[in-house]
Amino acid sequence: MIHISAFYFGSIALVLIGLYAVLVKKNILKMLIGLSIMETGVNLLLVSIGYISGRSAPILSEGITPDKAVDPIPQALVLTAIVIGVATTAMALSAVIVLYRRYGTLNVEEIRRLRG
Amino acid sequence: MNGQYASLLIALPLLGAFFVPLIKGFGEKAIKTYVLIITAIQTGIAAWVFREVYSTGKPIIVIAGGWKPPVGINLYLGHFAALFVLIVALASFLMAVFNFKAIEVEPIDKYAMLFLLLMLGATGMISTGDIFNLFVFMEITAITAYALTAYNKTGEAAEASLKYIILGGIGSSFFLIGVALIYGATGTLNMAQIAQLAGHIDPTVAQVGLALIIFGLAVEAELFPLNAWAPDAYQAAPHPVTAMFSAFVVKAGLYAMARVLYLTSAVESWHNVLRLLVVMATMTVVVAELSALRQRNVKRMIAYSSISQVGLIALAFALGTQAGVDAGVFQMVNHAIIKALLFLGVGYAAIQLGGAEIENFRGLGRRMPVTAFGITVGSMAAVGIPLFNIFWSKLRIILATIEVGYTWAAFLVLGASVVEAVYYFRLIHAIWFEGDGERISESVPLMAIVIALVILVIAIGIYPNYVWSVSQKAGSDIFNVANYIKNVPLMGVGA
Repeated sequence: MIHISAFYFGSIALVLIGLYAVLVKKNILKMLIGLSIMETGVNLLLVSIGYISGRSAPILSEGITPDKAVDPIPQALVLTAIVIGVATTAMALSAVIVLYRRYGTLNVEEIRRLRG
Repeated sequence: MNGQYASLLIALPLLGAFFVPLIKGFGEKAIKTYVLIITAIQTGIAAWVFREVYSTGKPIIVIAGGWKPPVGINLYLGHFAALFVLIVALASFLMAVFNFKAIEVEPIDKYAMLFLLLMLGATGMISTGDIFNLFVFMEITAITAYALTAYNKTGEAAEASLKYIILGGIGSSFFLIGVALIYGATGTLNMAQIAQLAGHIDPTVAQVGLALIIFGLAVEAELFPLNAWAPDAYQAAPHPVTAMFSAFVVKAGLYAMARVLYLTSAVESWHNVLRLLVVMATMTVVVAELSALRQRNVKRMIAYSSISQVGLIALAFALGTQAGVDAGVFQMVNHAIIKALLFLGVGYAAIQLGGAEIENFRGLGRRMPVTAFGITVGSMAAVGIPLFNIFWSKLRIILATIEVGYTWAAFLVLGASVVEAVYYFRLIHAIWFEGDGERISESVPLMAIVIALVILVIAIGIYPNYVWSVSQKAGSDIFNVANYIKNVPLMGVGA
């Protein structure tokens, strides 16, 4: 049995790894991957906040009554957050395509036409 | 009429955006007219909500699907939301008129959809009563804003949009962690119930959660250090979109921040969070004004000026007093009018003159006198000269700041205003006393809008009392949390 705090540590670690990638990497695609890792960490945190040790998924079926299921609200939130994350990533990637066509590079240090 | 019709404020732009492809076949003029009609209807509904809320003095609570809160999601159209939903709709309507002159790049149908969805997102952020619903509307606003920033398809636009996406992504993750902490501590997402239970949250959890939510919203609200995207996006976005960003998208973020902040005012560590926000807001004002000083691009310069005024609003909200919140709301109204006027004028001039560099604006006074007059009035008002509207709200914010004891913040903000005067007068000088040129004929509908906004600026400047009393009501809607809790018909679950 894994203790619940392991999930918290794991999810916060994912958020920090993602944040590190966004802040340090020079390649825009790597920054976007970092952003996705961050979102995954946040989603895991949300799910683990609703987790109750030893209970099953919140789908009412044979043998699963409400008192045997985990909190369903965070799972609904995570579903929404995943969809939003996909939309953001798709939007970002299409902007990257335009950017690469215009500048011929994905290095943030060379993409600096807007200054001041 | 039944208050539940107010849900049309959300439904109309959403359906409107959905049906844009049907209009596509009739050409670009038809699409622009369609957007104009939808925003006009939205303005009508918002005006009805405004009248209803202000005449009865009671908020309209829209209960989705008959599920009472906290089980269902409710909309809360109090004094503040009613006022700002009207401003959002009106600003969108004016910019829909501007679309006819300003938007040439294809695909216009996609632009129309994004335009309506941006209006929807801001309306939703302002009117929702559920903190996760707030997140969803924030993301709708943000994603449409990313797309609209990149709409011109130039390299600069894509660059600005990507900066915005990366900062916005970090912000939304932070916001969601904050929501997760608050949910873990209270077991609810309904704002009224969070306010009810706020006193019982562990102070450390509440402090971290609130700080994360504020950091998350600071991206939308353009607070230092998360506002690096804003000047780029303002410069690269199509002109009507820039005006919308400044007039209400940033306001929606600020409002969400103030609402969440004041709902949790029962938390013990609340004042630590306020102090963080005061520092962030003051830094925003100072850094933005100093950056504005060395801009050559007028649109970018006004973008920085907009950011600094937003910092002023955030400062007013961070004071934690009734006077501060009222002054902040007053400044929000004035700022929306001024920035709609300035970005409309500058955008229109930039279209006619072929660029927004300050060199292009030389001799504008002779070439486009009405536009130049509008920009001049807007600039003088933004600086805070008496007889213009911003003077009153700036004065009240500074008085409220001194009252709370943040004299250093008041000094820094006043010093920054002097800097603001320098670059605005440089612009006015370039417009009226330099250069020469042929007269360009100006579009009549746009000039009618400019003149109407100028009259509004001066009218509020001379008779501030009506708008001030409306702002006071809207301010107490945010500040008076006990009323907020009382107005939402919570089912007795968990409380």
